[in-house]
This record gives sequence, C-alpha cells and structure tokens, in this order.
Amino acid sequence: MNIQRIMMIVDASYHTRRTIEHSLREIDRRALNAMVLVKRHGKALAGYGVVAQAFRERAANLKEAASHLQESIAPLIQAHMCILQHRSYADLFHRKMQEMYHYDIICPTFVRTEKTWERVIIAEEAVALTILRQLIKNVEKLQEGIAEQEYVVIIGRIEAALSEGTGAPLMRVSRDMGMAVATVRDAIWKYHNQLEEILHESNIGI
Amino acid sequence: MKATSVFEAGNHRWWIIYDQNEGRVIDSNVYVMESNEQSILLDPGGFEIFPQVFAAMVEVVQPSTLQAAFVSHQDPDIASSLPLWNACNSNIQWHMPKLWEGFIRHYGALDANFVGIPDEGGGLVIGGRKLEFIPAHYLHSSANFHVYDPEAKVFFSGDVGAALLPSGHSAWVELRDSDSSKAFDDHIQHAKFFHQRWMPSKEAKKDWISRVSQLDIDFLCPQHGAIYVGENVQRFLSWFDALDIGTAISR
Repeated sequence: MNIQRIMMIVDASYHTRRTIEHSLREIDRRALNAMVLVKRHGKALAGYGVVAQAFRERAANLKEAASHLQESIAPLIQAHMCILQHRSYADLFHRKMQEMYHYDIICPTFVRTEKTWERVIIAEEAVALTILRQLIKNVEKLQEGIAEQEYVVIIGRIEAALSEGTGAPLMRVSRDMGMAVATVRDAIWKYHNQLEEILHESNIGI
Repeated sequence: MKATSVFEAGNHRWWIIYDQNEGRVIDSNVYVMESNEQSILLDPGGFEIFPQVFAAMVEVVQPSTLQAAFVSHQDPDIASSLPLWNACNSNIQWHMPKLWEGFIRHYGALDANFVGIPDEGGGLVIGGRKLEFIPAHYLHSSANFHVYDPEAKVFFSGDVGAALLPSGHSAWVELRDSDSSKAFDDHIQHAKFFHQRWMPSKEAKKDWISRVSQLDIDFLCPQHGAIYVGENVQRFLSWFDALDIGTAISR
C-alpha cells in the first residue's frame, strides 16, 4: 500500500482517537450534570433521572468499546511500518541488482534475498489485513454503542419536554448531550469510511 | 516501546519513547518535543526499532506535525532509521553535526533535507519555542551535540548519562524521591562501564561539565537508560566529573 495512504490513516486514527477521548469525557460530564440537576429537583424529575442514569451507563460502555479500538490501531500502524521497513530491504537489493547488471555482474544470492523479502512482505500484508478487519469490527461495535446513546438522547428530549413545568433547564442539558454524542458519531463514521476504503484497496491489491 | 510524558505546560510537551521490545540491538530512548502543533524528534533511533518507535510516537503526537529531527551524532542506533522517517514525511528537516552529513547519507537518504550544525552549535525554533544545540564534541563522537530547552528546563544529553538497563526498565532514575541518593546509587552502576569505555576525552568531559553546570536543568534525558530529575541531575554531573574515562588506553 502507498505510504501516503498509510500516513493518512495514521493521522486519521490519531484525530479520531483524540476526538473520541475528548467527546467521551464531555458525554460523561454532561451525564453527571444531568444527574446533579435531577437530584436537585427531587421527585419532580424522576423520569429524567432514569434517562440520565442510562446515558451515563452507556457512556461507560462507549469508553470500554473505544479502548478496544486503540488495541487494534497501534498494531495496525506497527504492522504497516514493518512492511515499510522490509520493503526498503527488498528495494535496496533490487536497486543494487540493477546497478550490478550495468557492470555485467549477476549475483544469484541477491535475487534470492530479494525474493525472500518479497515473501516476508506478502505474509506481513496478510497479517496487516487481519488487523485492519478487526479494527473495522471494533469501530462498528463503537458505532452500535453510539446508536444506543442517540436513542437515550431522544428519550431524554421527550422527558425534558414533559418536565418543562419544573423550571429545570432540561432542554439545554439534552441538547448538550445530543451534541456531544453527534461529535463522536460523525468522527467515527468518517473514520469507518476511511478504513473501508483502505480495506477495499488492500483487497484489490493497490 | 511506550511513550511517557516528561514535561507538560499547556501546549508545550516533551515525551520519551523507551523500553524497546527488540533485545538484539542496544536499547535506545527517542524523545519528542511538541509545541503549538509542531514537533521535533530527537535521536530517532535505529532501523530495526523503527516500527515500534513510530507506533509508540503516534499514540502521543500526530506524525504530520513533525517539522524537524535532531541527530546528535552519526551512530546507527541514533540515525539509521532516517530513510524510513523520510519515506513517511519527506518534509522533515534533519539537523545534525555538519561534520557527519556525508556519513549519515550512507544510511540511504540521499534526498533527505539535511541542515548541518556547525561545530560551535546553534539553535532552532519549533512551534515558537527555542531549542539550543549545545556542543558536546568527543562525548563520545568527535562531532556531537546535545539539546537544551530553557523553558521546559529539559536537557537532552545524548550518550552522556546513558545506562545499560534490562528490559522493562522505568523511564526515570527516580521520580518520586530524588532527594534520596539510593536510587541514583543503584542506577549509576549500570552507567559506569558505558561512560568509562565509550567516552574518550577527559578534557571534553571537563569542558562539557563546566558549561552544562551553568544551565538550569530539571530533566537530564539520555539516549539510553533513564531520565535524571531534580537532585539526581547534580548527582550525575558530580559523579561524571569524578569518573575516570577513556579506560581502554590504560588497560
């Protein structure tokens, strides 16, 4: 795979991870704010309390799913950097063979060595592909968690509308929750697409 | 390998990447300084550990922010990964001793962007932060530089302060209680042979100590082993001052 493409994925992984970490902290903070608000208003906001609790629990689940994401990103990057490293060995032998042909020198061990590195690279590319597939699975699991969280946000908005009479700023709290979840959703959706493109390229051998 | 924060104040950060998994090549530390979303890599490491270093670095720093790399001297554990970094980001400016430029090109980076540091030293601004290239010639290489960050009070000391530690070692000589000399005394046993055998010049050592003693240093960061913090910085300078070096000649 093209090195520029790999660097794009490295950058995208870094950005996505940072966005997720920041947004999950934000989600947790929003959930905590909601819980405090519910506690302050007592029984009047009992319905919203259930939503806030569910929101917080799902935020914890998202954190857990995001940690598995990181477990696959680092090995994927390391695998691609190993390929880059070994590709440079293969290229070196190839280049030197070309230069030696120029002087009418043929060195069969150079040919064998280059082929050995090519075989190593093919095996490493297969490993990298397996890691990429696992990463995509982990991303999809995270997307499922986000979809559940969005559902809780919708319920929260309904509860907020029903509890408008209490004077608690539940609509604002719900909107903030929704925005925090949307940030993660958008980041992970974009990342998923980028990974799918890489998988497609890998499958057709670009 | 793993990345750990050495210094952090707002958007000004230093990281160490340390404790490599490959035991057949000498264990090395790689440092990264980041400021205002620009970063510099210090002694990027050997060819064989490049994948580990890169994977650990991207945990903490976005690779596209890398503006520059610093190469303290010509050794393979310092600079043989250069062509691979250059393949990842050909915009990196490589700051290295001018004397070694033609030698370092032998690692296979004919098209990399080299900036030679003259013998008297120099400096560089990364993300608005000034870094000083401090001459450390003959410690151990004949053209050798260290890096000082006066704001973070971080001093990257290359092979000076190096220790040969077993796998799984800490990034720090002692982080919590640098007032006590016990950790330093234990650690320095692993540094003794390295300095006696690899450091050739007593004059160079004396000259370096007199200049470096005038700098305000909180973190002395060697390229092998662990970081000296607080009181252990002065302990190290005193220990090094008293140490007999260049011992292969006297044997």
